[in-house]
Amino acid sequence: MGTFGLAAILAAVILAASMISVEVGFSVALIELTLGVIVGNAFSLHVTTWLTFVASFAGVVLTFLAGAEVDVPLFRREWRASILVGAVSFAGPAVVAGAFAYWGLGWTRQASEICGIALSTTSLAVVYAVLVESGLNQTLVGKRLMSATFVTDLLTVVALSVLFITPTLWIVPFVAVSLLLIVGLPRIAPTFFGRYGDRVIEPEIKLAFAALFLLMWLGDRANSQAVLPAFVLGLALSSHYAQHRREQERLRVVAFAFLTPFFFFKGGMSVSLPALWANLGILGLLFAAKLLPKLAGVYPIARHTFAPHGAFATLLMSTGLTFGTISSLYGLDTGIITRTQFSLLIGVVILSAVVPTAIAQRFFQPTTRDEHGGGLPTRIAPEIEEVG
Amino acid sequence: MPFRHIMVAIDGSAESQHALDVAIELAGLVDARLTGLAVEGPLPAYAATMAEVDEVKREKDRFFLKLAQEALERAGLAGIELELELRPGHAAEVITKYAREIDADLIVLGHKGHFLHAHLLGSTADRVAEHSDVPVLIVR
Repeated sequence: MGTFGLAAILAAVILAASMISVEVGFSVALIELTLGVIVGNAFSLHVTTWLTFVASFAGVVLTFLAGAEVDVPLFRREWRASILVGAVSFAGPAVVAGAFAYWGLGWTRQASEICGIALSTTSLAVVYAVLVESGLNQTLVGKRLMSATFVTDLLTVVALSVLFITPTLWIVPFVAVSLLLIVGLPRIAPTFFGRYGDRVIEPEIKLAFAALFLLMWLGDRANSQAVLPAFVLGLALSSHYAQHRREQERLRVVAFAFLTPFFFFKGGMSVSLPALWANLGILGLLFAAKLLPKLAGVYPIARHTFAPHGAFATLLMSTGLTFGTISSLYGLDTGIITRTQFSLLIGVVILSAVVPTAIAQRFFQPTTRDEHGGGLPTRIAPEIEEVG
Repeated sequence: MPFRHIMVAIDGSAESQHALDVAIELAGLVDARLTGLAVEGPLPAYAATMAEVDEVKREKDRFFLKLAQEALERAGLAGIELELELRPGHAAEVITKYAREIDADLIVLGHKGHFLHAHLLGSTADRVAEHSDVPVLIVR
């Protein structure tokens, strides 16, 4: 199949994913991932160079956006209360799942490390959606939970960047440019965006993309990768984006319309259903290797930190999606893990997005009434004032 | 039977507007207290980015703000005081629970004839009628 043939098929399926997402109320990423699995296996589609290129860039853009979405002032206020639970949430599954892959499944050391990292994540977006839906995002418990999730994600990104470095001399310019961008971009942002922003030709998006491509190139030359600096750069710019929501929204539009669908679809396409089917038992064990350490490690702390919603918070800390996919795709693209191992990891990532969330919402979801001891969760009249 | 507290479920559809009109008229006739309930459906499940959640939430906020303004305006024109409540969750479950919570003695809601829901899953009105402890008036 030619380049345009594949592009046409992908574009059609990506469109269908958006429509299905709106109709069924599931996130578009999960649908893209799932359709990628189905279409990729049904039509034996192969991942091409251009798709790998677009998906790699999309992964870095997603990481940058994830950093830019962090509420830094909130984290500054809550980090002491949430750092322990966030760290345990990362370390528990990273160690247990990694050790199980290494000693139990006989994976290589690096493949086991990818396994540990991919399964250590907590999905900030899944947690956020559940908190907003329950109204808990406005409460202390919700804010601490977001903060703890951020700690877990940050540790995941650091581990993914540090564990696989085999540095060359290029590490020096890579680190130097990373620091320069992280320190410099937030400082020049007001002037640059003031002069060139808010135009159809979007110089501010081009600036962000140029910075990310530069990081990807230098990271590649240094035998490292751009995930950590991209995430920290997003963090550094988060305050700027918080004050300039329209800029952030335009960046999101470009990312979600063209880039991230290819990222998730490629992730799905690279999953081998026959391999998954042949290893269902291992899939279950890997899922347990993610879930059990999260539950056992996080709950004893969470029942104090997130009282009275310890069980609910623990289950939410056990979710995962975007960073799990990014870590697994990194392992596949660099040849650290095989397609079968990748399929298993993505299978666990999808399960971990759905199962703990569904259990938390079905059996443990509190209402804001529990927080405030009486009153109604949301009255429309105050909301009119807020929204208006 | 004189109704003292009527609850009407609103969702912005033509059927629910009709139900609101009937509830307003009925509340005026029997001099009952009137409460409107809007149920906010779920946000995207298993989201990959916070942006996706934020966008849907903003859309919902805009929608419910407009819905509330229109409902208050309709009630105001008829000289009826309308209290409004917005709750997240699944419509039928929230409607029946909330009616119990506020001690409503009549639920008024419209009946939508969406093929898939009505024939395969059962409509919200059907479910409320089946599970509610209080009388239900379904407006067609």
